[in-house]
Amino acid sequence: MELVNIFVKSIFVDNMIFAYFLGMCSYLAVSKKVNTAVGLGLAVVFVLGITVPINYLLENYLLKPGALSWMGAEMAGIDLSFLSFIMFIAVIAATVQIVEMAVEKFSPSLYSALGIFLPLIAVNCSILGGALFMQERDYANIAQATVFGLGSGVGWFIAIVAIAAIREKIRYSNIPGPVRGLGMAFIITGLMGIAFLSFSGIKL
Amino acid sequence: MPNTESNSYTILFSAILVVAVGVLLTLVFSWTNPSYLKSVELEKRQNILSAALGKSVDREQAESMFDQYITDMAMYTADGALVEDGSETAFTLNQAKEVKKGADEERFPMFKFQNGDTVRYVLGMRGTGLWGPVWGFIAIESDLNTVFNANFDHKSETPGLGAEIKTDMFEGQFRPKDGNAKELYGDDGSFKGIRVEKTGKVPQSSPEYQHVVDGISGGTITSNGVSDMLQKYLQAFTNYAEKNGLKTQGQALLVD
Amino acid sequence: MSTETTVQEKAPKAPAKPLFTAKDRKLITDPLDDDNPITVQVLGICSALAVTVQLKPALFLCMGVLFVMVFGSATISLLRNLVPSRVRIIVQLVVVAALVTVVDLALKALAYDVSKELSVFVGLIITNCIVMGRLEAFALANKPGPSILDAFGNALGYSVILIIVAIFREFFGSGSIMGFNLIPQGFYDMGYVNNGLFILPPMALILVGIIIWVQRSRNKKLIEAN
Repeated sequence: MELVNIFVKSIFVDNMIFAYFLGMCSYLAVSKKVNTAVGLGLAVVFVLGITVPINYLLENYLLKPGALSWMGAEMAGIDLSFLSFIMFIAVIAATVQIVEMAVEKFSPSLYSALGIFLPLIAVNCSILGGALFMQERDYANIAQATVFGLGSGVGWFIAIVAIAAIREKIRYSNIPGPVRGLGMAFIITGLMGIAFLSFSGIKL
Repeated sequence: MPNTESNSYTILFSAILVVAVGVLLTLVFSWTNPSYLKSVELEKRQNILSAALGKSVDREQAESMFDQYITDMAMYTADGALVEDGSETAFTLNQAKEVKKGADEERFPMFKFQNGDTVRYVLGMRGTGLWGPVWGFIAIESDLNTVFNANFDHKSETPGLGAEIKTDMFEGQFRPKDGNAKELYGDDGSFKGIRVEKTGKVPQSSPEYQHVVDGISGGTITSNGVSDMLQKYLQAFTNYAEKNGLKTQGQALLVD
Repeated sequence: MSTETTVQEKAPKAPAKPLFTAKDRKLITDPLDDDNPITVQVLGICSALAVTVQLKPALFLCMGVLFVMVFGSATISLLRNLVPSRVRIIVQLVVVAALVTVVDLALKALAYDVSKELSVFVGLIITNCIVMGRLEAFALANKPGPSILDAFGNALGYSVILIIVAIFREFFGSGSIMGFNLIPQGFYDMGYVNNGLFILPPMALILVGIIIWVQRSRNKKLIEAN
């Protein structure tokens, strides 16, 4: 039950895009077409689903003060938390590299469409944000952390597919030239963000 | 030029990079950490003193003033039972570790400030904001009811939003203004504590307002974290005060 | 947009060309307008939303990004012939993260109060895709000189937008600039209220949208075809 709770909460209430405004760069840049948006969205779900549990293990068995106590009592006093940024980032970058290689091999068209943004998932703030939220919220076990990662990914997926669908439709509207495309995407996201603010503060 | 795409080169390169970065960071860390810890300790003394004095304190003087004014300290549990621990004092207590212990085992630090006849109790608090921990000190007058001052700090709250808790705009609400101080007990004598609420939710004219400070617009999650933190530590302090009776220890501090 | 521009840049600029100065100047001026990292390349949006509530943190972040980009670009550019392409992302990120962490640790020891102000930005700088984006698109394929200029130009272009957004948000949201109150108390007494919406992230998005609108009205070649 707790797992369902975390899952639903991380999709809607704590939505990465609309509640915390994380992962905006790729969200805005790769939301012109629903197809590519679905591709990038799935990649983010995948990367978050893998990196959050890995980082959870790192955090609890390596980085956190006292985390090394499994290596013996004399190691319990070591605090490696100053390395947490670089460890999280390294795990994320490695995972992204694997995803990049996999996409390049299995779907060259998706690879060319995602272009520079696939490597940029590594610096997609929502991925590191996921790791940092996990660290902060101190989930009880790895199952909760995984569900949280997946839920955040799904929330991001829904958000990018939604904006891509709107942008596909809005192309047929008569918008002043200068604000067409990216400008409108910014403004629509702002409006969607305001709408989603109504979710914030809901306690499940 | 070596073949940069071969497996062995990739592995070698990664290994060298990891070792180099690891050594570099560890060296810098072990070089910087002692003076960093010293600064953290001095700042803690500074914050405790400035909460109790209601004005800022120089870092250089923090140590000597601390010895002069902080005459006693204690640790207690959530239900108010005094804790004795030979190896730790309320000052050396690591609250980051304590909050993770769970409600039954957490120990709460309290510092007694004394300057002539003026006595105030400073409580160390720690909670969770949006991105990381938030913490602070709140000073309670010797009537064990009136809030005198508070200060807050945070690790990584959003600048301009959650980070505003450490500004005077927010902290100033804890100081008595125009004779209106924040109070822990309601008029009926029951414990209310201090809550952080959205600005305007509790009108300033309402009697409830003496238990409420205005939150930070746009920083709701940080505000809620501070609110929960205040409730928790004030409740524990009240339990301690009622149970062990600061009064019955011959200090006659409760104003009748 | 960014996809196309960056891919084009990657290939042809690798060998040093004779016409150095004109091109160098372009490296700095382009990101200010035609190839602005935020409004054209769509990089570094998260931090633009997070720190533009007030001008002061925005300036701090701009300085941090400038510093990290210049040093990161120089380092990656020096290493560019040694980095295996398969692990390039990890290498870039580790270099940037290590650089930022070292600076943060050093500040903690030498200037504790400054480090407290800046520590908050450490995460924001490491994950700022503008740093990674330029390393990946430019520094990895170019000599240190041009890479530093490119980093400098992009950091400036990024700063310009951040500062504009921050000025608007702080003025309308809190009635002040750099923490100094600009709206006289009399206005508040007459019923003027700060617009709380400007403090929230959605308004930053809408402001950037408006900046894009203004920029593209002046600079017609940036207008997107349908």
